[in-house]
Amino acid sequence: MTIIKLKSNLLDIFPDDIHRSTLINDNEFYIQVDSRSIVKICTYLNGELGYALLTIFANDERTLTGKYAIYYGFADRKKSQLIIIKTEIAPTAMSFQSISAKVHAASSYEREIKDLFGLIPLGHPDAKRLVLHGNWPNGIYPLRKDYDLHHKPHFSKKETKFKKITGEGVFEIPVGPVHAGIIEPGHFRFSLAGEPILNLEAQLYYVHKGIEKMAESMSIEKCFYLSERISGDETFTNSLAYCQAIEKIAGVEVPPRAEYMRVLFAELERLTSHLGDLAGICLDVAYGFAAFQFRMMRGWTYLIADDLCGMRFLRSVNKPGGLRMEFLESKEKSLIDQLMKIKKELEDTVVIIKQNTMFIDRVENTGILKSAIAFDLNAVGPGGRASGISHDVRKNFPYAAYDKLTFDTPNYVDGDVNSRMRVKLDECFISISLMLQVIETMPKGPIKESLPKLLSHQVAFGMTEAPRGENIHWIMTGENETIFRYKIRTPSFCNWPALCYAVSGNIVPDFPLINKSFNLSYAGNDL
Amino acid sequence: MAIVIYIALQLVVMILLAPLVNGIIKKVKALTQKRRGAPVLQMYFDLYKLLNKSSVVSQVTSWIFIATPYIIVSSALTAALLVPVTTFASPIAFPFDIIMLVYVLALGRFFMGLAALDAGGTFGGMGSSREAMISSLIEPSLLVSIFTIGLASQSTSINDIMLAMQSVSLPLLRPAFTLTFFALFIILIAETSRIPVDDPSTHLELTMVHEAMVLEYSGRQLALMELGAAIKQLVLITLIINVFLPHDQFIAYAGIGGLMLSLLVYLIKVIGFSVLIAVFEASTVKFRFFSIPNLAALSFILAFLGFLQYFVLGR
Repeated sequence: MTIIKLKSNLLDIFPDDIHRSTLINDNEFYIQVDSRSIVKICTYLNGELGYALLTIFANDERTLTGKYAIYYGFADRKKSQLIIIKTEIAPTAMSFQSISAKVHAASSYEREIKDLFGLIPLGHPDAKRLVLHGNWPNGIYPLRKDYDLHHKPHFSKKETKFKKITGEGVFEIPVGPVHAGIIEPGHFRFSLAGEPILNLEAQLYYVHKGIEKMAESMSIEKCFYLSERISGDETFTNSLAYCQAIEKIAGVEVPPRAEYMRVLFAELERLTSHLGDLAGICLDVAYGFAAFQFRMMRGWTYLIADDLCGMRFLRSVNKPGGLRMEFLESKEKSLIDQLMKIKKELEDTVVIIKQNTMFIDRVENTGILKSAIAFDLNAVGPGGRASGISHDVRKNFPYAAYDKLTFDTPNYVDGDVNSRMRVKLDECFISISLMLQVIETMPKGPIKESLPKLLSHQVAFGMTEAPRGENIHWIMTGENETIFRYKIRTPSFCNWPALCYAVSGNIVPDFPLINKSFNLSYAGNDL
Repeated sequence: MAIVIYIALQLVVMILLAPLVNGIIKKVKALTQKRRGAPVLQMYFDLYKLLNKSSVVSQVTSWIFIATPYIIVSSALTAALLVPVTTFASPIAFPFDIIMLVYVLALGRFFMGLAALDAGGTFGGMGSSREAMISSLIEPSLLVSIFTIGLASQSTSINDIMLAMQSVSLPLLRPAFTLTFFALFIILIAETSRIPVDDPSTHLELTMVHEAMVLEYSGRQLALMELGAAIKQLVLITLIINVFLPHDQFIAYAGIGGLMLSLLVYLIKVIGFSVLIAVFEASTVKFRFFSIPNLAALSFILAFLGFLQYFVLGR
């Protein structure tokens, strides 16, 4: 549906509820609606039109309009359109209508808003705390503008309550947040009957760093470095999303060579991440040979990154307006050699692991994420693509030079660990092929464009396909080239609830394997 | 006097050799994965380090938790005295001692299971319930295997069995013994918590079996638990290699020289068998937990077929 048709449709159906609508940045259609009618409009967009809910976030706009604002980001993925429903909440009301009962993916966002802004989602089926744990004092909401970043609240000793499953022989096992291996902190509460898992509740958010709050006092230049540090293994893709949003606000066209190079680095990061995940999957079933093959190849990808820009984690490579330096000149030859070496090794390894029936037996039918659940929760990235949902930001909302390159999006329907593994394997080959295409077809020319002075209170989305899936950043600029609000929605935020569904019915010893097949970020989820 | 020296010698050999087996297995596994791996002697360094550390004991534990490491080590050492390292003679021998061997090791496992529950941790109970399941599945095939070789040698004393096996030329080529050998090999893998039953090198608490049970131990106690497990592993290896591949009939002369030569041959056999275990581990992946009964069933079938073969073909 085109924007004009959608607008007339909405005006036909909800004549009294729509206040204002504007189209900015080519594909971001903002509709301001009355807060009372939010449920029916969102239900219409998500249920009738099938637009996916990408994110919900609040913004403390009391200094601008005297009200809080909540933005509901929907996507028409076929038409590359973003439809953003904005509604304003008066500080006297401090509550909004929850859409979670109708749009399931909304649940975590509304809980997040409740924790960080103190706006209560009315009618939410399970509105307990999400980001802040039980020990956080009541009545302190960190993302409000009047909360000081450096304020340290007094923690109480209250514990978080978990869902109780009762019945004969049902027991709970608490796991974490400190684990036997060196991994990120997360608490998992399993309810079991013997070995099979009846219910899993994950309490994450042990690594809250206040990134969104921190960003609000930063200059646009400085905030770029913050965006690189959102999640250690998704440095480039996060910085790219940030840069895209800033470039949209500035109205700057990035030079073509930089667009191609950005694809190269983004795909290098994806390859590194996927190889690490594949190693993890193999290691969790004690398939040492394959695990160390993948780890070795991941080591090679780090060496490529080091070779290109002197930084294995690709920090300070990007820059709003292009890239920091010409990284590729006279390195094409060795880059192609190294990529072909990885491709050859990967092909050989894939043949071996696909023939290992014991290994395939472990990953097949383990941790099935049903397609319907994946759709309802808006599962993204490899987790979604393994369950028959073929979203890929690179295709749906082409950025950088992706529209000029040819590649497929792998799609599997079984939703088990095997499917997720195959998606990642396929994507490794696709990443290599994309990188080779970039080297072949990349035009010559400048690699950066300088930015004009940015106006205040401009908004834009930056979207990328991170290794873990759809990555969405939203920026509102403030006075004097600062950030007013920086909302980051990493793919892990969408996929954590999906993981809890994929686990139920499986046995406890298979949980680490299922977890690893999603490989979600803890730090990148808890900003 | 000679018997005291013999007992002491056997104990020293078993204690000193046990960590080496783990070292070799780890090294070979690392080499199959294109890694350099830890030094072969790493477990000795680890034990030395742990023995110099104090233990942290949870306040909710009872005497069982404290006593278990000693019970584990002493049961493993008792078992070590029952199997002859050189196939001349075991230090302690009496009728039915092979059944004694099985249940001395079971005693250690029983206390390990109790101690894991005793600490009240999340994973201890999980580990001991899994271990109990695995060992109850494995026990029937272990006993059938033992009875098969016992029948063939007309004895239930390990010493007599080994003497009898020395008179069989190439026992591994006889169907009854071949099948029993593979049954015992599977039992060894299960009893020593190796892939595909358990993964000794995992850091994932939820998948652990043996490791989950020792998770609460630290310092000196952990060293004893690890050493006990290593000795138990060596006892089982010794039993298998000395029953199915006896070597003393080839050593012509007796006395100290013969003993030393016999020990050397034994050492080579242990190293060879460790490599075999490592290659087996490297070439397989961990089973889904509920597939372990299939493996135990396979082991039982092999043992039982070996048992039948004895009646059909004799030894």
